[in-house]
Amino acid sequence: MSGISVNRLEVQLNRLSLKNPILVASGTFGYAKEMQAFVDFSQLGGLIPKTITPTPRIGNKPPRTVETSSGLLNSIGLDNDGLDTFIDKHLHYLLGLGASVIANIAGKTIDDFRMMAERFASIDGVAGLELNISCPNVTGGVDMGTDPKLTEEVVRAVRESCDLPVIAKLTPNVTNVPLIAQGAKEGGADAVSLVNTFQGMAVNWRQRKPILGNGIGGLSGPAIKPLALRIVYQVASKVEIPIIGIGGISSIDDVMEFLVAGASAVQIGTANFYNPGLSSQLVVDLERICEEEDCTNISELVGTLQFPTQK
Amino acid sequence: MSAEASLPGLVPSAQQISAVVVEQETMATNTYRLRLRCPELARQIRPGQFFMVKEPGTNDPLLGRPFALFDIWDENGEPAGIDFGYVAIGKLTHLMTHWSPGDPVQLWGPLGNGFPEPGDGHLMMVAGGIGQTPFLAVAREALGLKTYGRPARPLDVRPSKLTLAYGVRSREFLAGIEQFTMDGLDLQIATDDGTAGHHGFVTQLLQNAIQSETPPDKVFCCGPEPMMEAVQKICLRENVACWLSLESPMACGFGACFSCVVPVRQEDGSWDYKRSCVEGPVFPAERLIFED
Ligand SMILES: Cc1cc2nc3c(=O)[nH]c(=O)nc-3n(C[C@H](O)[C@H](O)[C@H](O)COP(=O)(O)OP(=O)(O)OC[C@H]3O[C@@H](n4cnc5c(N)ncnc54)[C@H](O)[C@@H]3O)c2cc1C
Ligand SMILES: Cc1cc2nc3c(=O)[nH]c(=O)nc-3n(C[C@H](O)[C@H](O)[C@H](O)COP(=O)(O)O)c2cc1C
Repeated sequence: MSGISVNRLEVQLNRLSLKNPILVASGTFGYAKEMQAFVDFSQLGGLIPKTITPTPRIGNKPPRTVETSSGLLNSIGLDNDGLDTFIDKHLHYLLGLGASVIANIAGKTIDDFRMMAERFASIDGVAGLELNISCPNVTGGVDMGTDPKLTEEVVRAVRESCDLPVIAKLTPNVTNVPLIAQGAKEGGADAVSLVNTFQGMAVNWRQRKPILGNGIGGLSGPAIKPLALRIVYQVASKVEIPIIGIGGISSIDDVMEFLVAGASAVQIGTANFYNPGLSSQLVVDLERICEEEDCTNISELVGTLQFPTQK
Repeated sequence: MSAEASLPGLVPSAQQISAVVVEQETMATNTYRLRLRCPELARQIRPGQFFMVKEPGTNDPLLGRPFALFDIWDENGEPAGIDFGYVAIGKLTHLMTHWSPGDPVQLWGPLGNGFPEPGDGHLMMVAGGIGQTPFLAVAREALGLKTYGRPARPLDVRPSKLTLAYGVRSREFLAGIEQFTMDGLDLQIATDDGTAGHHGFVTQLLQNAIQSETPPDKVFCCGPEPMMEAVQKICLRENVACWLSLESPMACGFGACFSCVVPVRQEDGSWDYKRSCVEGPVFPAERLIFED
């Protein structure tokens, strides 16, 4: 058929269609404007700006990040100007970039999430909502992401408040992630994002002090990749829900490892900081892999891991 | 107000660059100068801007580290690369001491807002320790010895007087004295231990200048935080316009991570955390709030 080119990278996560499975992770891409010098936004499968909360949050006291071996500890504390400012100041720019924009929202209560979902439902152009029920740097709220029932409730509340595709972003700081993912599924999530950061700490023993201003933070970067892969694999084998894999991805091989382990799409996080042009480059690399692996669609490679079985 | 207007340090033309080490020399105890070949950066960068440096091919150190422009160097009349000075204090800087000609380096930049125009009065630069690095390019631009950025910003006026007050702990840490020795620049030195120049803090040199017959009209300052806080106090008290270039640790350098925030006074008197990389690193002194 002339004039119609098949997009082999197109993926479908229930109601969420993406032109390719390469997304950029919330909190690691600013509001996109910061990345304009380095990234061809129109290449990206999806763009997830920093977490938005109902009202402005000043964030945590510096130092907010500290590098650890092959990793980054952060305690940004959801520093953002709140929902109204996001909509007034950032959304228009974001929606003009040629990439699907998925708004990442966080609240302290289910009502917070419901209210924000309703606001986004009334705005044209947002491709979906990612619920940050997993941020380790905020105290005061209920940790919904550590409880399967609460996870189910918050997802359901958002589903009932809007028609947008809903992704639940889960924390790895629980014993059983599949249980939480099951809760998200029951609540009606279109997909789960796995994972947010792992709680961690860095200490300056001479001063007898933690290094981060907030004391405790979340670990990201290549150091967490094996941990994240394990979680993606476990959820993929136990729960029937599309997975967006996140954790230390910094090369096309890393992307493929997540896809093969069961992720339908991925998000690039910390790597945006030290290789700012990576995300759009990965789309080009993935096209090449499709060619090499001879697939008609990239999803043919998802979950193809052959796990060793004992005789 | 548009979002762009509030981010003077966001550089839409910044680039990710593969650079190559050209040479490395010792400037002072534990202090080095690296020369890199990177024409893309050299053509753009202006005094007071910075760039991020990363050792390629390793995850440890993982992130880039920010360094200020010391100077650009030319080849056949064209900008060919940059020089920067550094002190070996941690993971990457210790590795950097082993870099030799031909080694590849990852860079991204230029980043940050840089210093404002020098103006036509007496410009005094106050530097503490490695905080001297941005001032070579400031001085050369102000004196008309060199231009930076394509197109270069037109400086219609030149300072009537240019001073660099440079303080270090001890004589052995004085770096770049050779480069800073130029016609038109009054170089004043202070050492904490009295082994060179004024015996005491560099802030005394600033006080002296303010009391002199040609007091500074503008102060540019870069150095350790306690020193910058002292310079801020003096300039606010004496009503001298002052800009401080901060060295807040950064994870990305271009505004994506929100880690390099500093408390900044707002127009309405309240304060908010601002990203030093895209709103600075150079701030008007009166807007900064130093915390302990
Ligand atoms: C805009 C800007 C411009 C700059 N320009 C220059 C310049 O021109 N020249 C220059 O030399 N420097 C400059 N700096 C500072 C420079 O970026 C840092 O010195 C550099 O990042 C150090 O990197 P590193 O890997 O060697 O140290 P790191 O290993 O990252 O350590 C940095 C510092 O933090 C301390 N530290 C690290 N980890 C810990 C820990 N776990 N506990 C306690 N303390 C810790 C270290 O002791 C050290 O003092 C600039 C900074 C900024 C923001
Ligand atoms: C500095 C920083 C800030 C982050 N902020 C957010 C955030 O606001 N909301 C969110 O859902 N996740 C946030 N994250 C988590 C990332 O989106 C991602 O889940 C995590 O970093 C793991 O991926 P990575 O190893 O590729 O970075 C942040 C991570 C970092 C490093």
